[in-house]
Amino acid sequence: MEIQLKLYGSSKLLSENELLKLELPENSNVEQLRNSLKKLISEKHSQSNLGELSKTAAFFSENDEVIDDNYRLKNKELVSIIPPIGGG
Amino acid sequence: MSLHAALVKVEDEKISSEKAKNFISSEENGAESIFTGKVRNENSGKKVTAVTYDAHDQAVIKSFKSICNSAKNKFDKNAKIFLEHAKGYVPVGEISILIAVGSGHRDEAFKICRYILEEVKHQSPIWKKEHYVDGKEEWLPGHSLRPKKNIK
Repeated sequence: MEIQLKLYGSSKLLSENELLKLELPENSNVEQLRNSLKKLISEKHSQSNLGELSKTAAFFSENDEVIDDNYRLKNKELVSIIPPIGGG
Repeated sequence: MSLHAALVKVEDEKISSEKAKNFISSEENGAESIFTGKVRNENSGKKVTAVTYDAHDQAVIKSFKSICNSAKNKFDKNAKIFLEHAKGYVPVGEISILIAVGSGHRDEAFKICRYILEEVKHQSPIWKKEHYVDGKEEWLPGHSLRPKKNIK
């Protein structure tokens, strides 16, 4: 299955595009998305400061609600990655 | 209307303290408190030229409204509140956030202003990328919205 990750803040270092497509095993949940992200960062972005991102990020559904690690993702679902925040 | 909350795309317009003052102005106010946050020219020993603010627009507006309503319920139901935050490239010296509060008394006006600022920093999905004199840039660390007990 494939999900589309909408990038915000430091996660924009993962791609030049606003959306990052990720291939995940069928019936994956958010925990598996974190694992996939961890692998991607260690393989392709090890020089960046994104080492902790797969642990510290939250994820929002299309309804802008936080989704927890047990949330079952749907094929082609659009999910926002929310790295640690700091406005003001 | 007693509440205005917005993200301002700085390429299109600037945050205006005059607009804020006009919005909160009322003969019922005994106190008006205005906080402006600006981009500073230094952070952790690095010389800063500008900050780019990124934001999850819909979630930010939702959080702004929730924070402001919570402040009203906590301190003064009749307070008038104006809250704007910049989105985009903001050079040193320009406004990144403006909070203006009109209230019956000074204590409530100060408290609401402070409460909103701290809650925005902890709840609103906004990110800062600093730009430095040497041409480098860096996304700043922040506060995770993931529950601490789940971060191992």
